Amino acid sequence: MNNPHHLNPTSLKSRFTTRFLRALTKIRAQKPISSSSPTEIFRRYRRIKVAADKSMAYSVRSRRIWSKAMLWKLRSRSYRRQDPCSGRRSGKTNQAIMKKSSNENTTTRREDGVGFVEEADELRQLVPGGETMNLCNLLDETAHYIKCLTTQVQVMKKIADFYSF
Amino acid sequence: MESNAGATETRSNVTVSDGGEVAAFESLQFTDEIHRLISAPATDNASSFTALLELPATQVVELLHSPESVKLIVASAPNVEDFKGSFHFPSNTGLIQKDARFSVFSGEGNNKNDKSNSPEMTSKNSSANLEKAVKSEPAETASSLPLVSDPTVENRNIKRKDREKKVKGSTKKSKPATNESLEDAEKLPYVHVRARRGQATDSHSLAERARREKINARMKLLQELVPGCNKISGTALVLDEIINHVQSLQRQVEFLSMSLAAVNPRIDFNLDSSFTSESGSTMDGGNFPSLVTPLMWPDVQVNGYRQQFQHQWHFDTLKQPIWGREEVCNNYVTPENSLLSYDSSANSAATLHANQLKMEL
Repeated sequence: MNNPHHLNPTSLKSRFTTRFLRALTKIRAQKPISSSSPTEIFRRYRRIKVAADKSMAYSVRSRRIWSKAMLWKLRSRSYRRQDPCSGRRSGKTNQAIMKKSSNENTTTRREDGVGFVEEADELRQLVPGGETMNLCNLLDETAHYIKCLTTQVQVMKKIADFYSF
Repeated sequence: MESNAGATETRSNVTVSDGGEVAAFESLQFTDEIHRLISAPATDNASSFTALLELPATQVVELLHSPESVKLIVASAPNVEDFKGSFHFPSNTGLIQKDARFSVFSGEGNNKNDKSNSPEMTSKNSSANLEKAVKSEPAETASSLPLVSDPTVENRNIKRKDREKKVKGSTKKSKPATNESLEDAEKLPYVHVRARRGQATDSHSLAERARREKINARMKLLQELVPGCNKISGTALVLDEIINHVQSLQRQVEFLSMSLAAVNPRIDFNLDSSFTSESGSTMDGGNFPSLVTPLMWPDVQVNGYRQQFQHQWHFDTLKQPIWGREEVCNNYVTPENSLLSYDSSANSAATLHANQLKMEL
C-alpha cells in the first residue's frame, strides 16, 4: 500500500496536479449536484478545460512565451466577461502590441530561407502566442508545449480513470 | 618534405581500395603524419594545411579518424600529381552529394603555388566532405566552439570565400580552376567558414546559416519528442507530424475535460475526499480508520451544500465550505501523491466508499 513513487513536489506534474485538483473541486462545488443536462455539462466542460489550461499555464508561470500568451488570453477573456469596458481596453492595447510585434516579425518569418512556411504557420496557430515567434523560438516553444500537454493529458487521464471506475 | 612523404604514403594507401576497409589502415598512417604536420610550425605557405591543423588540432585528428574524412585527407594532401588519379575518390565516397560547403581549410590546403587546378578542386571537394564530417561531429560532440570562426578570421574567410566563389566548376567534378584566387588565401590560421556555393558570403548569410543550424538542431529534438518521427525524413513531413501530434494532444485534453465534466458529481465529492484519505492512508501505511472517518464528514458537507445551493447563489458563501474542505485537503499530504501513484489500493478505497454511499442513501 505504500507509495513507492515519490514525486518531486516541484515538478511540473505535481504543480499542475495540485492546481488542477483545486480548480476541479471549486468547479464541482459551484454547480448543483443534480445537473446532468447537456447545457450544464457543456458549461462545466468549458470551465474544466479553462481550468486545465490555466493551471498548466500557471505552473509554467511566464518562463515560456506560450504560457505567457495563454495566461494573457485567459485573463483578457475573464476580464471581458466581468467588465466589458475594461476588457475591451486591455484587449485593445494588448492586441495592438501583439499585432505590432507580429508585423515586425512577419518579415522575418515569411522567408526564413528554410522553406516550410505553411507548416510553420499552422504550428503558430496551434501553439499559443505563436504568431509572434520566429521559427527558431517557435520550435523551442513547441517542444516545451508538447511536453506540458503530455503531462496534462497524463494527469487528466488518471483523474478521469479515478472518477469513472 | 613531410607533406611529400605523407603524399607517397597516401598514394600507396589510395591504390589499395576505395572501400571503407582501408580507412583504419589509412587512419593509422595519417595520424602519424598529421601529428608530424601538427608539430611542424607553419612556416611555409604550402603547409597551410598544417597551419590549419595547429589550432583545432585535436579536433581535426579526431575528425580524421572517421573514415570519410580519412579519404578526404587522402585527397587533400598537397601533392598534386599523385592525386590526379584519385580524383574520383570524392565522388566515390558519395559524400559529395550536397553541393558543397566549403570550409576554409580547403583553401588552405591548396595553397601551393605550383599546384594545378585539379588538386585544388579535389581538396575543395575533400574539404567539402571534411566539412560535412566536421559538421556532423559538432552535433555529436557538441564542441562546436572551435568550429565557429572568430570574427577576425571570419572577415578574412569571407574574402577567401568570395575568391573561392569565383572559382567555377562543380564541386563534384574536378574541373580545373584558377589558381590565383586560392593562392592568397593561405595565411589564415584557421578555417571554417561554411559558405554555401553560389550564395552570398557576407556576415548576414553567415548568421543565417548559423540560424539554420540552430533550427535543424531543434528539429532533431522535436523528432525525438514526437513518437514516430524518427523514420520520417524531410523537415516538412516532420513538421506535419508534429502538428498532428499537437492537435491530437489538444483534442485529448478537450475530451478528457468533457469526460470529467460528465462524471457523476455526487460520487466526485466523496472521491475528492477519498484523495485525501488515500494520501493519508498511503502515508500512514494503510490505516482503515483514517479512510473511514473522512467519509462521514463529506456526507454532512454535501447535504450542507445542497441547502446552500437551493437558497443562496452567492459565490462568497459558497466559498466557505469549499475552503473548509480544502483546508482538510491541505492537512494531509498533498493529494497528488496518491493520485499520481495511483494503484489498486485506490480502486479498493473508492469502491469502499461508493458502497458506503449507496448504503446511506
